[in-house]
Amino acid sequence: MAPGDSRFAVDVSLDPDPVIEVYKKDVDRTLIRENLKLTPDERLVQLMRLQEFAEELRAAGRRTLGR
Amino acid sequence: MTDFPALLGALSGAGVEYIVVGGAAATAHGSARLTLDLDVVYRRTPDNVARVAESVARHHPYLRGAPPGLPFHWDAETIRHGLNFTLVTDIGAIDFLGEIAGGGSYDALLPDTYPLTLFGVECRCLTLERLIQVKRAAGRVKDLEAIAELEAIAEERRR
Repeated sequence: MAPGDSRFAVDVSLDPDPVIEVYKKDVDRTLIRENLKLTPDERLVQLMRLQEFAEELRAAGRRTLGR
Repeated sequence: MTDFPALLGALSGAGVEYIVVGGAAATAHGSARLTLDLDVVYRRTPDNVARVAESVARHHPYLRGAPPGLPFHWDAETIRHGLNFTLVTDIGAIDFLGEIAGGGSYDALLPDTYPLTLFGVECRCLTLERLIQVKRAAGRVKDLEAIAELEAIAEERRR
């Protein structure tokens, strides 16, 4: 096996996949367009805020359900 | 919360050779999906394995999802005996991956990376096209929505 080869490496086409095309119809492109206006740093900061919000929601759920 | 600046700073501070992949790479490319950890592919050379061990050692790494109290020691020997490690640390969740399905090793992925400065830390990130390819090759049903979004990002960039 040549250097850099790997049992995990697989060549995959980037041609349109009919299954993915179906999923693509539901992608919210308005979010993508807004994100593309941000820098990578800003996108990760936004992600951390989303993580905090998700954790707050989980905590609220635990408090409400008592578990 | 995963403290991305702190994790990237820890990796950079230890001089780790790594590639940002997975959800964080997708976020850097413009994804709006929630991811909870930092996935990195690290180079499996002895020197770099030692640097990986050092990078988060002081942040109390432990196997994510494992019951407490296991005799887990995060050091170069542990990393040499394993390959992929999903960890929780004081500064967030991080996956150290020796290889990824559909992508292979650090050296196999390196040609398909680009330099990226995140929070003042210079790192390498998998290209959008390679990220899509890797996720397609992994063949996981749970990735279908993520792949669709990544391909939509690629289309939006071409517009």
